[in-house]
Amino acid sequence: MYATADMLLTSPAPAAPEQSHETAIEVVLVKAVLEGDRDGFTRLYDLYAPLVHGILLARVPRAEVDDLVQDIFLHAFKKLHTLRESSSFGPWIAMIARNRAVDFYRRSRETVEINDELRGSNTQDSRATEILELIRNLPEAYRETLVLRLVEGMTGPEIAARTGLTAASVRVNLHRGMKLLREQLGFMEGL
Amino acid sequence: MNDDYLWDKTGEPDPQVQELEEILSSLRYQPKPLQIPNELRLPQRRNYFPWVAIAAGVSLAILAGGIWLSTRSHGDAPQRQAEVTPPAPVKEVTPSAPKTPERKNESPEEVVAVHKHRPRASVPVLSKREREEALMAKEQVMLALRLTTEKLSLVHKKTQNTNPANQIKNQHRVG
Repeated sequence: MYATADMLLTSPAPAAPEQSHETAIEVVLVKAVLEGDRDGFTRLYDLYAPLVHGILLARVPRAEVDDLVQDIFLHAFKKLHTLRESSSFGPWIAMIARNRAVDFYRRSRETVEINDELRGSNTQDSRATEILELIRNLPEAYRETLVLRLVEGMTGPEIAARTGLTAASVRVNLHRGMKLLREQLGFMEGL
Repeated sequence: MNDDYLWDKTGEPDPQVQELEEILSSLRYQPKPLQIPNELRLPQRRNYFPWVAIAAGVSLAILAGGIWLSTRSHGDAPQRQAEVTPPAPVKEVTPSAPKTPERKNESPEEVVAVHKHRPRASVPVLSKREREEALMAKEQVMLALRLTTEKLSLVHKKTQNTNPANQIKNQHRVG
């Protein structure tokens, strides 16, 4: 059942009206970078690094995330000229991040992720890692949206604008994912 | 339950969501400067229109040259015939005239017919059907030439009026 729902809920959709402002910034920055303005790419990085970080955090070991974020943006810088529609920078780099996460597991299947993940420097960090692990066990469409909302602190409309998903899809993903997470947390003490 | 807080952080805060936000904030992205190596240069968008225009121009020139050569060879044939063949033999070849050694076995009617419709030196004799096919082929070549000309014209216009923002739409392939 989830598989079908996931496919529907993760399909890219045209930008909603409220996304137009953010899209305009993207377009200007991408154009500037293509004309040789490297600082423009730094601004794109500042805007989209939390998105890429969240997408990776939902998929790969935490210790690998920071390096992968840098790699993904360097790759995006080299390949920016292949981006045919400047307003699609967000969905484009989100897709690069998802693909890179898949590649990560192809290259390092022998890595035991959970042991690394459960190491926390303090109680709150350990608790956070446990909850993150619960989120990672949710269906893919929910886990990414929940991490962007609960970890990165983005709102639903922001998630929709940056990932290219419709606001309705993000809203459904958030609510269904939160419902499942509450059920999972019901087995744990504390919350 | 009011889910506005989960959606856009408005409305009455959900205590569970707030607690999760607080705990998970330790995993949040910590800004780090992006280190772009100086030697890393941004490749420019490739503009293929000049190359397409050149390729189309070369193709058109080859096609036009081929047609011109073909037309010229057709035009030369009657001239050569006029130089080589005097008009007199047509009259000389009559049923009463002596047979030439090469045409010993030909009847007089056949000889007359052959001389009246002597084939050109460089053009093969075509049946009616073959001639129709040849004409159709010529029509097709002319059509192809016209299409190529139109395409070259279109490419030329695009080359003259290039707008990078509108070059290609509907980007789906990434990475």
